[in-house]
Amino acid sequence: MPVAIGVTLLVFSLLHLTGDPIRLLYGLNVPEEIVQQRRDELGLNRPVPVQYAMWLSRAVQGDLGESITTGDHVVAMIAARVGPTLELTVLALIVTLAVSLPAGVVSAVRRNTWLDGISRIAALFWVSMPIFWLGLLFILVFGVWLGLMPISGRAETFWSIEGLRTHTLPVLTLGLPPAALFTRLTRSSMLEVIGEEYIRTARSKGLAERVVIVRHALRNALIPLLTLVGLRLPWLFGGAVITETVFAWPGMGRLLVDSVLKRDYPVVQGIVMAMAALVVASSLLVDLLYAYVDPRIRYD
Amino acid sequence: MLLGLVLVLAVVLVALLAGVIAPRDPTALDMEALLTPPSSGYIFGTDELGRDIFSRVVHGTRYALLIGVAVVLIEALIGIVLGATAAYFGGWSDAVLMRVVDVMLAVPTLVLALAIAGVLGGGLGNMILAIGVTGWREFARLIRGQVLVIRTSTYVEAAKALGAGDLRVLARHVLPNALGTVIVFTTLEMPAALLWAASLSFLGLGAQPPTPEWGAMVAEGRGFIGQAWWVSTFPGLAIMTTVLGFNFLGDGLRDLLDPRTARIL
Repeated sequence: MPVAIGVTLLVFSLLHLTGDPIRLLYGLNVPEEIVQQRRDELGLNRPVPVQYAMWLSRAVQGDLGESITTGDHVVAMIAARVGPTLELTVLALIVTLAVSLPAGVVSAVRRNTWLDGISRIAALFWVSMPIFWLGLLFILVFGVWLGLMPISGRAETFWSIEGLRTHTLPVLTLGLPPAALFTRLTRSSMLEVIGEEYIRTARSKGLAERVVIVRHALRNALIPLLTLVGLRLPWLFGGAVITETVFAWPGMGRLLVDSVLKRDYPVVQGIVMAMAALVVASSLLVDLLYAYVDPRIRYD
Repeated sequence: MLLGLVLVLAVVLVALLAGVIAPRDPTALDMEALLTPPSSGYIFGTDELGRDIFSRVVHGTRYALLIGVAVVLIEALIGIVLGATAAYFGGWSDAVLMRVVDVMLAVPTLVLALAIAGVLGGGLGNMILAIGVTGWREFARLIRGQVLVIRTSTYVEAAKALGAGDLRVLARHVLPNALGTVIVFTTLEMPAALLWAASLSFLGLGAQPPTPEWGAMVAEGRGFIGQAWWVSTFPGLAIMTTVLGFNFLGDGLRDLLDPRTARIL
């Protein structure tokens, strides 16, 4: 809760203490009186703390203000776009894990082979990849040259041929780059676990190696990995902003970019808050999962 | 790693010698040769205004390095000042700093930097400021850790016993010893700074045309990616190579300095 207040304070002050959005919006040719009038209308001439108090009181009632450019309610604008963004990020995360978990396990089991060296280089390689460039390359190869996928937009649901076509590239763009890093993380986690006593016990019990690895080692290795996933969440949402812009995905990220470019600061404010809220909510989810999965931790 | 050092040095070299290496002025237009594919005359092809992409990429190294260094410097400055003060004086100031970092953790760096850059009005300088102001957390955490260790060491106690004021102790004893790690850390932060800067420019908030900044160049080529793939591809490649170089370098440095705490990579 204090974090929430802190975030609102931070965002609000940053946006209001720096620069004059109305002037930026209207440019230099508009006479001063009109600019002043607009400022009055929006309450920008009051002292900043007063503005903050006004905003906060409206916010807790569920009103985040209206867009300067379109006049729509900010809350409505955001609500319409949360779905696509969440869809993108969740699917991307699934892709990341689907690739990195098996790869990480294999890496751990077969470490010190040349495969290991390659995966390390691959991790550094993928971490250096600019997401927007990867997205454009995908569009180029699969959209333009091979004509397999549409280059922008989003089908209504994922569970359809059309859905698969529109969803694949954005999800891969957001989900692949972290996969190499996660592979390495899975690998280290597995290596730590494999060295533990209980693995030796399991083996000496005569269990098949596969059972040992999957049932005992992997399960326990997943626990610290969960924490690392949690740490990665802000990045995921930041990456979604870029991915959505490249693929014209109707999500919050693209709205954010559009609004920033249009100096529509109520919307920008609203989205930044919303994103922070999403990050916090998903972190909480991860924490809960962690507590659930790790039998050594039990909250009373 | 050696490869990293080679790559980074190559980029620096290109940046310094850009005027010599680039065959043409990066902003010169050639109306006869709009959107020409890579050829012997134009190694990387030309863009929609007839500018030589190769020259622009080469000159772009200067911007990339300048931006990267500027961002990291700002982050380091803010992070060091805040982190050192919090760790040294402890108690209340430390708690406040940790709260602020927690709050900032909730907002993705890119999102916050985007918002700030936008409000400041876009442009290169504002973008650098925006990223610097949002990306200092790691520095703060690092310095804080270092200072926490150092401030309980004997020579600090001795200095205090001799009557040295807090500021003097900080400046002459604590900070110089913490700075070693910080210098290494700046290399580690370069990749992130470069990627954020390129991303913001791509989104339209950083370098403005006709500046040959790589992120902006990729954005320029986006509109005709089908007809002229080279306009976006080569600058992006440049970004990746540079970031990769710093990543290799950082990885190697980490291994070198402390194999025990060498990161999971």
